[in-house]
Amino acid sequence: MPAPDPAAVRKPARRWDVFARARATLDAFEHLVGGLGTTVLALVAFLLVAATALACLFGVGVLLVPAALRGLRAVADRERARLSRWGPEIIGPEPVPPGLRAALTDPAVHRELGWMVTHATLGLFLSLTGLTVSFSAVTNTTFPLWWRLLPPEEASTSAMGLWTVRDLPGALGVSLLGLGWIVLALLLVPGMARLQAWPGRRLLRADPGTDLALRVAQLTATRAAALDAHAAELRRIERSLHDGTQNRIVAVTILLGAARRALARDPSDAEAILERAQSAAEQALAELRAVARSILPPVLTDRSLADALTGLATTCPIPCRIDADIPVRCAASVEATAYFVAAEALTNITRHSHARHATVTVHRDADRLHLQITDDGHGGADEHSGSGLVGIRRRTEAHDGTFMVNSPPGGPTTLTVSLPCGS
Amino acid sequence: MRIVIAEDDPLLREGLALLLRAESLDVVATAADPDGFLAAVDAHRPDVAIVDVRMPPTHTDEGIVAAVEARRRRPDLAVLVLSAYVEQAFATELLAQGSSRLGYLLKERVGRVEEFLSALHRVAGGGTAIDPDVVAQLLTRSRPDTRLDRLSPRERDVLALMAEGLGNTAIAERLFVTDGAVHKHIRSIFAKLDLAPTDRADRRVTAVLHYLEDAHRRA
Repeated sequence: MPAPDPAAVRKPARRWDVFARARATLDAFEHLVGGLGTTVLALVAFLLVAATALACLFGVGVLLVPAALRGLRAVADRERARLSRWGPEIIGPEPVPPGLRAALTDPAVHRELGWMVTHATLGLFLSLTGLTVSFSAVTNTTFPLWWRLLPPEEASTSAMGLWTVRDLPGALGVSLLGLGWIVLALLLVPGMARLQAWPGRRLLRADPGTDLALRVAQLTATRAAALDAHAAELRRIERSLHDGTQNRIVAVTILLGAARRALARDPSDAEAILERAQSAAEQALAELRAVARSILPPVLTDRSLADALTGLATTCPIPCRIDADIPVRCAASVEATAYFVAAEALTNITRHSHARHATVTVHRDADRLHLQITDDGHGGADEHSGSGLVGIRRRTEAHDGTFMVNSPPGGPTTLTVSLPCGS
Repeated sequence: MRIVIAEDDPLLREGLALLLRAESLDVVATAADPDGFLAAVDAHRPDVAIVDVRMPPTHTDEGIVAAVEARRRRPDLAVLVLSAYVEQAFATELLAQGSSRLGYLLKERVGRVEEFLSALHRVAGGGTAIDPDVVAQLLTRSRPDTRLDRLSPRERDVLALMAEGLGNTAIAERLFVTDGAVHKHIRSIFAKLDLAPTDRADRRVTAVLHYLEDAHRRA
């Protein structure tokens, strides 16, 4: 294979593409603004940890250590989420070990402490500098447009003391300075954003080994939950078949047996018994339909998720509004999950919430299906009190989705589910 | 014959009561759960209890547990257990206490009214009624290396009907042979299985089931 021409390879990399650079600078500026938030949080965490360490010297801080480390973890998780949005995903380490000694010897905690110090100092400095440079670039460049609005003495010092601004040429000079700031921003800001992110990308990721191990553990757990949910589902179906439908059909055979005996004895009795047998057979059919529908509602396969949800709303005793925006269909299993989550949530609302209205919002953006169920009931829904919420979480996580409950006492209750579409 | 019915499904409970009352049998009480059933047994002193296996609260084996408890309180109570499906473990649990005055049938057998009534009378009279499906399951579960292999196909048929709790005459009728032929088959079965022959139906069933149970355990 011939070696590629070195000039041809190098040329695009060397070319100074102003537009690409400007775009990169704008992105980097956005990252520095976002970074400012986490640097302030890191600074707060820094102060908290320092105060705890100081308190430890007097023996009273030991009790605060777990809380301080958890706080630090929360801040670090924010940074992980932020960095994951514009770079490779950073998967966090396992939770902070519960024991004091274990927590203090955890390498992940050590790295987080290191990140905290760097981010609270260097990171904060970079954010502030980046913002100042960008701010100066904008204000100086546009200076001739608004300098007359300033009080004369304030305007006169706007050229960083290089000259006194009294007239338009002086002001235009300031905008030339602004161009200088722009060049400086184009040169420095992208690198500054990368530099600010670098300690986080280095220190906040889990060990390369545990990284995968953790992901595997997560997948194993959700897979087990998926199988659990599946088994529970099969048990429910088995039960509704055995205790519902089968009993109806057994009743039919018993009544038919009784009717035959009655025919031999007194045919006039048979009519009434046959009538009961027929109604038992009809009930069996109705239950069979209900069981089949509970496995997979036909409207979901034949029509759409929106239609299925509308059907759900009409059978819900509480007035329920469906707000669906799903231009492209998702994988069948995802739609089925969304449907059952909505069904379970509406059942919960009917049973427990005393709500007067419920709203189901569902929309798809790119590769995720978002589902939100809100009611105006008395709130206080608790996932650990044996409600259907555990089932909803299981179903959701089985699809690698996320589930959140927000239900303050007094309401309103909001369930938020997000599922990868799988298509 | 005084009968108590324990069945949580209202339609089945009423259907069963209707059927039995139409046959001039005395259904003295019906119950929808194990507690109600045991209270009815205490209060009405029935001769026979018809009990569904799956009852509240967990719908698993509450009926079996209740039946065993009822027999503990009233050892002379005949119990006919009805089940939605064949579960050998249930049969074994019931038969652990001896097989007289005991029946275990699939629910749908009730629709064959003559056979159901004869099973009911057999159980009430001190005998046994085991569902053909339970017997078939026990027979297939025993491994081929048992002494059962020594039996001819006809003898296996006879053994299966014996296991259901049928008497010689009834077996003869089912197989369209004479009483004498059935007698001969049974003697041959007992000889091949190394069991002492006996005329009492429940002891024959016990022997058969114990033998099958044993074969199943050894396999």
